[in-house]
Amino acid sequence: MASKMPACVIDVGTGYTKMGFAGNSEPSYIFPSAIGVKENVGRGMAQGVDDLDFYIGDEAMNTPGYATKYPVRHGIVEDWDLMEKFYEQAIFKYLRAEPEDHYFLLTEPPLNPPENREYLAEIMFESFNVPGMYIAVQAVLALAASWTSKKAERTLTGCVIDSGDGVTHVIPVAEGYVIGSCIKHIPIAGRDITYFVQQLLREREVGIPPEQSLEVAKRIKERYTYVCPDIVKEFEKYDKQPDKYFKQYTGHNRVTKKPFSVDVGYERFLGPEIFFHPEFANPDFKTSISETVDTVVQQSPIDVRRGLYKNVVLSGGSTMFKDFRRRLERDVQKRVDLRLKRSEELSGGKLKPQPIEVKVVSHAMQRYAVWFGGSMLAATPEFYKVCHTKADYEEYGPSICRHNPVFGTMS
Amino acid sequence: MILLEVENRILSEVLSSRASETEEIAPVDMTVADFDGTMYHVSNPEGDATKVLVSISVPFFHQLQQFDVDSFMKGIYGDMVTSPESGYDFSLLVDISKLGANPEVTISNVARLRRNCFAAVFTKFFQMQKDGKMDSIVLNYKEKETMFINAMKDRVTVIFSTLFTDKDDIVIGKVFMKAFQDVRGRNPSAPQVLFGHAKDVPRELEGTSALTGDNVGYVTFVLFPRHISDDKMDHTIDLIHTFRDYLHYHIKCSKAYLHQRMRARTSSLLKVLNRARPDAEKEKKTATGRTFVRK
Repeated sequence: MASKMPACVIDVGTGYTKMGFAGNSEPSYIFPSAIGVKENVGRGMAQGVDDLDFYIGDEAMNTPGYATKYPVRHGIVEDWDLMEKFYEQAIFKYLRAEPEDHYFLLTEPPLNPPENREYLAEIMFESFNVPGMYIAVQAVLALAASWTSKKAERTLTGCVIDSGDGVTHVIPVAEGYVIGSCIKHIPIAGRDITYFVQQLLREREVGIPPEQSLEVAKRIKERYTYVCPDIVKEFEKYDKQPDKYFKQYTGHNRVTKKPFSVDVGYERFLGPEIFFHPEFANPDFKTSISETVDTVVQQSPIDVRRGLYKNVVLSGGSTMFKDFRRRLERDVQKRVDLRLKRSEELSGGKLKPQPIEVKVVSHAMQRYAVWFGGSMLAATPEFYKVCHTKADYEEYGPSICRHNPVFGTMS
Repeated sequence: MILLEVENRILSEVLSSRASETEEIAPVDMTVADFDGTMYHVSNPEGDATKVLVSISVPFFHQLQQFDVDSFMKGIYGDMVTSPESGYDFSLLVDISKLGANPEVTISNVARLRRNCFAAVFTKFFQMQKDGKMDSIVLNYKEKETMFINAMKDRVTVIFSTLFTDKDDIVIGKVFMKAFQDVRGRNPSAPQVLFGHAKDVPRELEGTSALTGDNVGYVTFVLFPRHISDDKMDHTIDLIHTFRDYLHYHIKCSKAYLHQRMRARTSSLLKVLNRARPDAEKEKKTATGRTFVRK
């Protein structure tokens, strides 16, 4: 049975949960990782079917009379009671899968405490009787997703840049192991770009209805922005040929139903530029993304550094800007070359270091890279071999999840 | 959520998001599962994104042929029915640009594809009962599990043989079904429900190919003509075809609820433990006021 039915892939993130069946290229559902519960129902003393009275996802946000709660914080599950309920509806209402018939692939953030993995295994095996499951690290799945790109090698060593709406992580992975001590966070992500674009528009445009200004900014960000190689030259280009570069965005006022139009100018390239010059948007933070990537690799063990430089993988919606890959590759390469040059100078020309190749990989599945990587892996026959099975669970207990079968046999 | 939904949400969302799209319609190609080994394949066969082919495969489709399922489906879906895609049992070609006068109804009908496969059987048997005919069938509605439907003179009996993978599930299922029976006492018009497992194989199943065994539970519904009258029939089918999953869903919810109670109890006990400090050594005195402190 299990081999015939596709595995369920559920990626619960801080902001959004992505879920669907393995083998598909896009998740079937993307909704907020939120759960709406009745406030007055106490823990552990529900009457009758009160414990079934809750909503998840978009319904949790939109149903009045329910308090919206977020069981996941910073990628890590904090409230397991709510999480168990969340899975209940996710599986039975949304995926409509009998968990006894499907294998499950679930994700965890890097640095997830092993206890949390055990809790997850308990819920899956005890409550849902799943035949088998696998907990994958999100960054590793993002690496696996990059295998779809023609340029990428099928390696599990690489530096993952995961940029969603809230925060950007740079995560070095060496042969499937996440090097936890070297992970860096950048407080610049999709939302900051939207705010920055909104701010630029607010200073100049007058026709946008204030309540729609965030939405307009988001649309403009998604539709028109790109990364430029050099801002000064880009400004010149725009000033010389405004009709070629300036765009028009037309929206509809939701209240009056009248159309309004917005000129889209410099924000086309200034928006994503804050990844490289964060001081534009955030005066307290000045480290550009290329510098962070470079530091992360430099902090990692010396024998994997070349591998990390050679495979910088993008994941998440905010890495989708046009030419983001090229710019990042160029900037990091510049830093690396400079360092090599300096070390050559310092040695007085005696040492000729081997040049280091920097390669940033972008691919078509970037937006849901983590989910897609999971879907791809869970569709392979090997997946069923590395899963923790119910028999194992009953034999050894939840501690089986502390061990990852990909890295050798259980000892 | 107490009752499971009848429609497949993924199907209805895929179709309605495309129906409401004002700009270009994105192409689709996905394979989706549903309860009891049902599989759907949604695709654009000719590369035209407005024409969506929805194919379904259900484990018991070959058994439906004897009930003239094709004309039953034609009655519901009309022109949408096309020849089945290879590997699947039944296909519908949905034209997004021509959803008819009431797109929501059309979409919800497509999303009820699985339900309508069951309906083909149930409608037939309900009709037989009304005509006074007697017949029975063992439907292999899921791999390893069976459903026995028997039309008799005055009633239709439906017996689910469902497999429990876990021993605890049988116990929880028993309690749950007991509650079902108790509620029936308060609500006399509800159909009679009987629950048994392992050795209490219902008599009707003797001599049939229905699943029996040690970790099998049997749920019997006795439907009287009042439950299958024309106006109630659709609702009855909606409820009864999801019953197996409904039962398993609630067993799982009960377990989740028990776990919640256990967690609450553990954390309250932990609080007590953390509060408990060994008392500071008190100086002990005799009646005369002397102490035993060593100098």
